[in-house]
Amino acid sequence: MNYLQPERLDRLAREYVLGTLVGGARRRFERVLAASPAALLAVGAWQRRFDVLAASVPPVQPREATWRGLEQRLFAPAAPAAPVAGKAGVGAWLGRLFGLRSLGGALAGVLLCLVVLRTQPGLVGLEPATGQLPQSYVGLLSDAHGKPAVLASSRRHGRQLTVKLLQPVGVPADRVAQLWALPRDGSAPFPIGVVPAVGTATLALPEASETLFFNVSRLAVTLEVAPASAGAAPGGPFVLIGPCVKLW
Amino acid sequence: MSLPAVPPDLASLLARVALRDRAAFEPLYRATCAHLLGVALRILNDRDRAEEVLQEAFMNVWHNAGSYRPDVAAPMTWLINIVRNKAIDALRSGRAERASTGALDDEALEVPADAALEPQRLLDEGLAKARIDACMAALNPSMRQALALAYYRGMVHTDIAVALGAPVGTAKAWVRRGLDRLKDCLGAVGMGAA
Repeated sequence: MNYLQPERLDRLAREYVLGTLVGGARRRFERVLAASPAALLAVGAWQRRFDVLAASVPPVQPREATWRGLEQRLFAPAAPAAPVAGKAGVGAWLGRLFGLRSLGGALAGVLLCLVVLRTQPGLVGLEPATGQLPQSYVGLLSDAHGKPAVLASSRRHGRQLTVKLLQPVGVPADRVAQLWALPRDGSAPFPIGVVPAVGTATLALPEASETLFFNVSRLAVTLEVAPASAGAAPGGPFVLIGPCVKLW
Repeated sequence: MSLPAVPPDLASLLARVALRDRAAFEPLYRATCAHLLGVALRILNDRDRAEEVLQEAFMNVWHNAGSYRPDVAAPMTWLINIVRNKAIDALRSGRAERASTGALDDEALEVPADAALEPQRLLDEGLAKARIDACMAALNPSMRQALALAYYRGMVHTDIAVALGAPVGTAKAWVRRGLDRLKDCLGAVGMGAA
């Protein structure tokens, strides 16, 4: 079929612009359009004609969330995309991941997966397929010389804190490196757990990160004779300290 | 052209967006979003989906502003067509989904009594605004209704036939002749010549 014969081109262009060119014919014409300046001009002419009709459409102001979501989708790849109408989120991607049908046949398997996912999402490699970091709290503690020493991270709704030592922490044999959370309002620090001297550790949290860290602006480490229990206060100076931020 | 309330600097905003100038993107969005959402909402008749389409259209704009050709279309014309194409795709994929689930409802085809008249009112207003009374006379009511349902509602020939209670062949002919006459009468007053 010769799409570029002028009369045929004009008929296709006008039905394409109007929207009455459908299905395969519409897709084929889009391919012609991408390659043919003549087709582009024919479509442009019809688009200008239809401007007359577009002019009478009453404007409708979009919600502010639509702009914010657009900005995030385009310019903030590290932050989770804002749902257009509050429909997205973890539930939505889990839903897409499993699909409604799989729930019928393999409910037990899905529930097992969910348990694994809740505790160790990284284990099975099932991160949200957005290329974005999950919503998390992240702390970076530095030593007295300002050199980063400990990276602490926890998913927003998780109950584990991963602690990675960026340089060995000098802990005397009779001491432990105790991690503290320092609330933003200046109230008393509360103990989180014990940091290893080298390597990486996963600390179990007494409550969800969101509950513990929501109002925490800094994390710090003291050297204690024994792990601090709930309600205890730091027994020495902070040897490491740094900001705790929300990663979303 | 005759689109209302279009700030004069859309072309330069679009040119800056093509160069990945983020400072130009928000003003472009703010200046055009309400009119474009109006267009998408007419077609989809669903506020959430229309806003989603608007968002996707502007993602396209950011990525493809370089392909905008000022010699082919005014900025607003180009934007309207991105939004209309996305809305039409969304409308039809939504229908395909409903059809493939087997729960085919007649929602897409069922047209309340006044639904065919409202798009025609928009079309008449559009022609009147552009002061092209010759077009009003050239297009008979059936042609105006058929064109209006296709343009404002994204209807295809079979939908138009159902909405206007006519055979599909007749609906096709109304659209075809309507387009012929629209082209002629706009050409006669020096608008939209090819």
